[in-house]
Amino acid sequence: MAVAETADSLLQRPSDNAFPILDRVPSSYNPLSTFILPKGEDRHYTQQFADMYFARLARVKPAVEQIAEEAWEGFEIAGETARRVDRALDVRQGELCWVVGTVYMEMPLKPNILDDLSKEHWISAPPDREKYISPGGKDETMLEDESGRLRLTGQHLQSQMLVTGCIIAAMGTENADGAFEVIDSRIVDLPRQPERWERDDEALALTGKSVKKQRPESGKVAIVSGLEISGDAADNLNLDLLTEYLLGEVSSSPGRSDAAQISRLVIAGNSLAHASPIPTRDELATKKGGKKYGYDASTYNPTPTEHLDDFLAALLPSIPITLLPGTSDPANVALPQQPLHHALFPHSREYANRPTEEGAGPSWFDSVTNPWEGDVDGWRFLGTGGQPIDDVFKYVAGEDRLDMMEHLLRWRCNAPTAPDTLWCYPFQMQDPLLIKDCPHVYFVGNQPRFETRVIDGPAGQLVRIIAVPKFRETGVLVLVDAETLGVECVQFGTFDRG
Amino acid sequence: MDKYKEFLALNVLNEERIISYRALSRALKVHTHLAKQMLYAFHHDENAKRPGSVHATYIIAGTKAIQTVPQTNGGPSQRSTNSFTQPSSPPLSSMPDQDGQEDHESDENITTTRFLLVREEDMKEAKAQFDEITSIHVYTIEPTPPKDLQVLTNCNREIQKEYANEDPLKDWRQYGTIQNPNVKRRTNRRPPPPAAPIATTAAAKMAPRPSSTTIAKSTEPPPAKRRKSSESAASASRASTPQVDAAAIPPSKPEAKAKAPTLKRDKSDIFKSFAKSKPPKPKKRDTASSAEATPAPEDEAMKDASEDEQEEDFALTAPTVDDKAARQARKEREEALRNMMEDEDEPMDDAPEMQAVAEQQATLIDSKAEEEPEQKEEVTVSGGRRRGRRRVMKKKTAKDEEGYLVTKEEPVWESFSEDEPVPKKAKVPVSSGSAAKGKKGAKAGQGNIMSFFGKK
Repeated sequence: MAVAETADSLLQRPSDNAFPILDRVPSSYNPLSTFILPKGEDRHYTQQFADMYFARLARVKPAVEQIAEEAWEGFEIAGETARRVDRALDVRQGELCWVVGTVYMEMPLKPNILDDLSKEHWISAPPDREKYISPGGKDETMLEDESGRLRLTGQHLQSQMLVTGCIIAAMGTENADGAFEVIDSRIVDLPRQPERWERDDEALALTGKSVKKQRPESGKVAIVSGLEISGDAADNLNLDLLTEYLLGEVSSSPGRSDAAQISRLVIAGNSLAHASPIPTRDELATKKGGKKYGYDASTYNPTPTEHLDDFLAALLPSIPITLLPGTSDPANVALPQQPLHHALFPHSREYANRPTEEGAGPSWFDSVTNPWEGDVDGWRFLGTGGQPIDDVFKYVAGEDRLDMMEHLLRWRCNAPTAPDTLWCYPFQMQDPLLIKDCPHVYFVGNQPRFETRVIDGPAGQLVRIIAVPKFRETGVLVLVDAETLGVECVQFGTFDRG
Repeated sequence: MDKYKEFLALNVLNEERIISYRALSRALKVHTHLAKQMLYAFHHDENAKRPGSVHATYIIAGTKAIQTVPQTNGGPSQRSTNSFTQPSSPPLSSMPDQDGQEDHESDENITTTRFLLVREEDMKEAKAQFDEITSIHVYTIEPTPPKDLQVLTNCNREIQKEYANEDPLKDWRQYGTIQNPNVKRRTNRRPPPPAAPIATTAAAKMAPRPSSTTIAKSTEPPPAKRRKSSESAASASRASTPQVDAAAIPPSKPEAKAKAPTLKRDKSDIFKSFAKSKPPKPKKRDTASSAEATPAPEDEAMKDASEDEQEEDFALTAPTVDDKAARQARKEREEALRNMMEDEDEPMDDAPEMQAVAEQQATLIDSKAEEEPEQKEEVTVSGGRRRGRRRVMKKKTAKDEEGYLVTKEEPVWESFSEDEPVPKKAKVPVSSGSAAKGKKGAKAGQGNIMSFFGKK
């Protein structure tokens, strides 16, 4: 243990020294509205989900075909050359060929809509499963396109991470059982990655201003998730420490200047512990037998929301905040979750743009969608509250969250398992959940522990992927250096004996 | 310079409160760093005089290098990524590089800065957990070692309540909070009184508590004259206290017996949301007062009844709160509502209001006694109408005595209203709900009470 020289500068008598006033590093912020759903009348829930699969396949197929073409050009086994087949149903028995389609995992343990319908016949619904994988190997992998389905088998599949909804090119032959024996497969891999500052430069160029060559050095972006404010009597002391740290009040001078480097706070979901799903009117009415006189405090407890509001309002004078909703937040349940409503934040919304203000630039306090993407200090950030990863986790055998995150990016799909096992809005013509631009930073909130890795793509893309742990459990705040994309952590805690 | 000694001696030694460096810096309007040093000096001096008289909790900041990707995890993950990336990355030749890089990345050491809150007796062990310590300072001092460090959160909660009327953009500078020149805040198109933007939050947070009680009181007395005078007197504070209206409005809408209550609640909630950001308060005020000005007899009866009861509540609970609030912050929070009511005294700080309010109070107390008999009659008359409230009573009385509700005689009513404080309280915060700050505390307590009765 080493003690820095300045460490005990505050363990002395009050001095007359003037303490410096620190200014926070500015944050360049340019959010995208990729996941904003149409409002009101224009939002429909009557479409078929099949359209999403078609749209997804149509968008990704050309790219996969190109990759497969390059890889398997002139591929020969026993004198037979692999041939491309357009539709899954055109595969002929015994013929070496390759085909592109959407993976569908048939898993007996997966929740089934028909089970939901017949739920009333059950005594009690089965508990949610941690994994859908059934031990007996009853799971089947299918490849489907608009024409039909192909059952996939083969050793090769064991080595692949596959979930419903991801798109692959598979090469092999159909065997005597009518199953497609896969020898090799390809996926689409990372999409194009924008240059740093690309969008900002474009915007500048469009407005006719000369593209700024010199930009001020960027600070750090703080990411936290799973605050899980519950309103319990003993609320989390760590939350106080987090506030004081970000405000630069705790710790001594060096620590303060570190905190002043943090230019933005991103909250990646689950800010409230038990706020979702929001009970419907009917539920509220039928919940209690008798009608209560007036406001019924036993059905609704506003304390957590107020604490969250206070927490945000305490930080906002000093640091801009981007707030993503998560599973337990009072937003819609289906992805993409829409921004938490400003009515929840009577104090913090002072720092948000008025809804009527158009073109006022991004809000200082920005309540955004989940998933969300946007440019922070020129880098493209893409983040979710964690639902897609948690859902993919149920399909695959491993525990490695980073691996799943990496696959999501390489599949170019933010939520491949939606709409199969993850609720999602029935998009029709397009699928915003497809990743069109490769992010520089991909963060996923509410993961069991902090992990990070840099992955690279075929065209030299480098992506920093970060699993952000739950703050309530770990007290960890993640800092991303907006110059180097290096990552560090700040952890808050109390020392307890034993 | 030595003001801090007085302050700390008073608060820590006499009042036995927990004082954090933030609380001290806010109270004395000094930089947080200075406050930390003050706490240290005070702790040092007092313990030199009388060992063990003051306990300190420190916060240690330091670094500790940790392996981000644990070995157990790193191994398999890498293998799986490799097997995956192999087929998918077109140029096979790039594989080795990729491998190399991944190895490199997963070995990456992530520095973790830790902030650890430590009781003074645990300092040694805690320090041993760090590789390097960058900062140590006093976080709080308190008369006795806290059993659970979580109680320290109360310091910040109090700060939030007490200094809610500060403008963070201006006043926080002196505390050493990191300033942000780029901050964007809504400019308020608030019409008359507070030109400063803070006024919104300030009003929302602070003002309501005291003034709501005053105004509630001032509007209580049925005689129109009094109301007018009180209005003029309180108009200054009123402008920024919409909740009052919310509080005042519900009673003036008594028609629907069973449903009205819920409606009222909703109303007050709506007002609450308005209160924070928008200026329509004056209007509401008007409607509220006009509603009051032309009250149907029934309405008045209800209004008076409920408000009187509230008042009695305050009277009853005030003293006990005083004691507790001083010592146990947590309880204080639960009783924040009662505090709110108790704050009656505060508004008097405003010189002009003072006299008027005092008078009103005096007359009120008198008139209360007078009014009560009337109420009783009216209540009995309109008994069915107020069933909701009665039900609440029943639940309560069922616990100790049952004769309560059945007897409709005057004396019964009186005792009823005296015993009632608890359920009444539950109601109060809601109606004055726009006082976000006060309400918060109140809710916790309220929730408990309500759910308790709700079980039935």
